Amino acid sequence: MAASNPSREAILARIREGLRTPAPPLGGQSSAVGPIFEPVENPLERFQQECKANLMECQLTADAAASARALAQVLQSLPAGEVFVQDDAVLRGMLAASGAGRQVRWSSQGGPAENSQATVTLAEMLIAQTGSIFVTAQCGGRGASVVAPCHIVYATTKQLVPDLVTALRAATAQGRLDKNSFACIISGSSRTADIEKILVQGAHGPMRLVVILETSA
Amino acid sequence: MARKVSLFVPCFVDQLQPEVAVDTVKVLRRIGCEVDFPQDQTCCGQPAFNSGFWDEARPCAERFLRVFADAETIVCPSGSCTTMVRVFYPELMASGALYDQAAAAGKRTFELSEFLVKVMGMTDVGAAFPHTVTYHASCHGLRELKLREEPLQLLRAVKGLKLVDMLRFDECCGFGGTFATKFESISVAMGESKCDSVAVTGAEYVTAIDPSCLMHVQGILGRRKDRAKAIHLASILAREA
Amino acid sequence: MSTSSGLSAPAGETPSAMTAAQKFLQDAAVKSADLVHREIIRKNMDSYDAAHLRGRGRFKDWEAARRKCQEIKREAIEHLDRYLLQFEEKVIARGGHVFWAANGDEACAYIKDLAVSRGVKTVVKSKSMVTEEIHLSPVLEKAGIRVWETDLGEFIVQLRNEAPYHIVTPAMHLNRQQIRDLFREKLGEDIADADPQKLVALARRKLREAFFAAEMGISGANFLVADSGAVAISTNEGNGRLSTSLPRIHVAVTGIEKVIPRLEDLGTLWPVLATSGTGQPITTYSTLIGGPRQAGEADGPEEFHVVLLDNGRSSLLANAEEREVLTCIRCGACLNICPVYRNIGGHTYNTTYQGPIGSVLTPHLRGSEFQHLSYASSLCGACSSVCPVNINLHHHLLHNRRDATAAGKVKAGERTQFKLWRTAMLHPRLFALGGWMMRRSLRLLYGLGLAGTAMDPMRAWSRKRGPLPLPEQSFRARWKRELGRTYGGSK
Repeated sequence: MAASNPSREAILARIREGLRTPAPPLGGQSSAVGPIFEPVENPLERFQQECKANLMECQLTADAAASARALAQVLQSLPAGEVFVQDDAVLRGMLAASGAGRQVRWSSQGGPAENSQATVTLAEMLIAQTGSIFVTAQCGGRGASVVAPCHIVYATTKQLVPDLVTALRAATAQGRLDKNSFACIISGSSRTADIEKILVQGAHGPMRLVVILETSA
Repeated sequence: MARKVSLFVPCFVDQLQPEVAVDTVKVLRRIGCEVDFPQDQTCCGQPAFNSGFWDEARPCAERFLRVFADAETIVCPSGSCTTMVRVFYPELMASGALYDQAAAAGKRTFELSEFLVKVMGMTDVGAAFPHTVTYHASCHGLRELKLREEPLQLLRAVKGLKLVDMLRFDECCGFGGTFATKFESISVAMGESKCDSVAVTGAEYVTAIDPSCLMHVQGILGRRKDRAKAIHLASILAREA
Repeated sequence: MSTSSGLSAPAGETPSAMTAAQKFLQDAAVKSADLVHREIIRKNMDSYDAAHLRGRGRFKDWEAARRKCQEIKREAIEHLDRYLLQFEEKVIARGGHVFWAANGDEACAYIKDLAVSRGVKTVVKSKSMVTEEIHLSPVLEKAGIRVWETDLGEFIVQLRNEAPYHIVTPAMHLNRQQIRDLFREKLGEDIADADPQKLVALARRKLREAFFAAEMGISGANFLVADSGAVAISTNEGNGRLSTSLPRIHVAVTGIEKVIPRLEDLGTLWPVLATSGTGQPITTYSTLIGGPRQAGEADGPEEFHVVLLDNGRSSLLANAEEREVLTCIRCGACLNICPVYRNIGGHTYNTTYQGPIGSVLTPHLRGSEFQHLSYASSLCGACSSVCPVNINLHHHLLHNRRDATAAGKVKAGERTQFKLWRTAMLHPRLFALGGWMMRRSLRLLYGLGLAGTAMDPMRAWSRKRGPLPLPEQSFRARWKRELGRTYGGSK
């Protein structure tokens, strides 16, 4: 059925016909003048600030051992049950070092189960301007960042980029979307304000978003 | 040499609120302007224009351009009617022979507070008004003519006047020309919200640069028997100690 | 000037016999006098206003941001065919399908047939105004498919059998007690203290079952990114994420005008959309989806379909003067600031898109039956002053009015009135005489205490505002008698 597209040509023809008359020119000054956002001076500091504003937890660690300890601590704070982990050598090592005795489902086995207590993934980039983590399908898939009540992201300060535009330009240049069916810029835990504009955390996705951020030399 | 000013009096001010125009004359003369009132003027055409009857509005605009052809400076005690000339005449006349004349007329037509502050460079016009006043920013003046500070600067310079801020001072009062009668219930509800904001300030007067807004607001204030009264900026500026 | 509306509904007439314009006036009269409603909306809007103001403060130059977004969307619309084809090519390359629907029927039929042929029993929907526009859910339900709205606000209005009240905040008109009562009745659980946290938790629990059971997820799209072939979806709750991750099939339904040229454009559009929508710096989940699950990916739908809807958009595109209306990013800022919306609420419009953008757009998309919305504005311009893509909304309302007159879609009575009015305005003596007669006769009438009664031709003004001021003398008369010292001093 996908091959049948009876209105495609007609719509395109209507669009082309309509566009034969150009829109009246835009008056005023072009946006090329001056920056839209304040430049990000100190990406790490800004990232931490924005994490706080986004109600994310950001734990700065000095080395791999400290990161494994941080991961162990977060996992210990969660109820018993399975965790889902992106199947990656670094995370396998970290999980082993953390000594967490939980049942693990790896992303190579499919998406996370409905009752996963946490998901542990890497990120493609971290964006200082908005305190965001940039994940793609490579980071354990789609469900990895949204199904469980807690999403734990392990990243290094090398992955920090100052702002959104830089991140998106890099993604384009590196063809990240060509290689993935999915990407997401995540800026906090799931939330809603649909009832009386009162902010409630943990609508359909994670209640907690934890970033273990390792300072890289 | 005294500045020559031609008065552009909105049609409903002429018929229903003449004191606004009289007070405008007083203020302009007090600051030394020579004031003329071209008696062939009627309406700028806005009611028809806003209702979609551009063919009916256009002859009014042509007439305005004729009547004020020789006027050096045109001053109007209404942000809305000034907007009609400056912003909408060029659009109304876009395809006609009078486009250049319309664009030129817009450049020498000024709303009263704009004329006093921007053209004459004055904020103190020698007025005294020992009352508490709050200011409502009429939409056309604020958003089309970008007059935000000018009326406030004038009010702050009035002797004895205590200016109090109003919450949502820039929210529409609900007049809107024929909207006021075509959509009476919405217009009145908007007016009530405005009057609520006025009441919270405790001011004795609410002022604005548009007589039509004030006529609408005064109607509702009066019906509700609120304490505040609506008064045009020109009428405050016309008072002396 | 017209003083009586001529639009008002005859008393006692049933809603079904009413025109859309009559129903609008009737509903507007009820809602605008509803003080409880006014208070709920006022509270919501106050909190939005504060967040919006804070949000704009995060930009170094908000005006430059608006301008940039305007330029991006304009570039896309001016080359709409090219960017849509680029988008389509990329999606197909990843194994996705793109269906072009000329109207709502075509779009609904495609999605329904797809669902039926794949044996879909349950559909989860994340918020999409376009699916409201084409009335998709009833079509699916008629085919025996269970449809779950998963955005909390949409879920609430779905349980109430209502249309969304607002394009961004669908259940803005309800307070927590009303939502508690609704959940008790429809979900069978009582959150006695109506704590929003607990109400959200209850909805989460109910909807999670749906997410994991559904075979098809239907989403909208905030943007279609041409250079990446990706659908961009902004959500805070994560329902958009789950709807597009868990079910076997994902269908994104959206208007053709949503395309943007480049991925990096989102670096400005995302923050501007979030700021204008809710005051947030960026929406929690800014998601990009470019196809079905690819080889090596852990999960994701096996099928990905994008339905591109025209439904009147290409006609609007052909109107060069009004074309910029298509650059709207559906942020809801114009609704929030609109004093008309604030008083009559979202449902009174009886349209998919409410508020100023709805009043501009609907007469174009749905024809002259909704022309009255072009007039239901005081033209205050607050909408245009906040629009993040600088659409001159209130000027477009004026254009709609002009075009309705030119097309003969106005009442004959009004046309005659303006013809008479013009005659008076072109003859100063006639104008002065007419004004004098009007003031004199009204003074007489009002002297008899008849202001605002059926005898009063100005009753649409005077019954709620008291009589018009009726001075003895006009200004022109006073000028002649007392003021006419031409140019100041000497006579």
